[in-house]
Amino acid sequence: MKRLLACSLLLAFAPAFTSVTASPQKKDEIPKLTLKVGDPAPDFALLSDEWKTVKLSDFRGKKNVLLAVCILAFTGG
Amino acid sequence: MSDTAVFGVSMDSPAANAAFAKQINIKFPLLSDMNRKMLSSYGILKNYEKGGDTYQWALRANIVIDKDGIIRHIEGGDSAVDPNTAASVCLDLHKKQTAK
Repeated sequence: MKRLLACSLLLAFAPAFTSVTASPQKKDEIPKLTLKVGDPAPDFALLSDEWKTVKLSDFRGKKNVLLAVCILAFTGG
Repeated sequence: MSDTAVFGVSMDSPAANAAFAKQINIKFPLLSDMNRKMLSSYGILKNYEKGGDTYQWALRANIVIDKDGIIRHIEGGDSAVDPNTAASVCLDLHKKQTAK
């Protein structure tokens, strides 16, 4: 009886669970990047954490640049 | 690799980035794109609809740009949380450039 009750409860709530897990972002809704390998990188001028302006063009002919974009500070992503 | 400059980029202010850098003892500068100009020019800024409102949010992304200003690696989304692919692209670039 308990098992039957558990199963019926599970079935009753299953649609709610699936809608919650599926709603934030489906795999095919993840936006595609507009730039691709081989494209020229748009120049930028951004302020560093020491309030110094860093320009991409300053590294032209000198260094490769690796940019790790995270959404906000204090986040792992 | 001394011929690769590494930067973090976020939508937060330089002050928030400085506090974050101090907290996790980060060894490279964190850049601030508060007006989201760079993020939108790189196609990393996306609109998200939630509850009838639209929010602009950055994708997690790793980008490698070579000395000629050409994109050599770009990945966005969940796979970009792991920096190893981008790091190996930098290593390959370094090898190719020093072999010239």
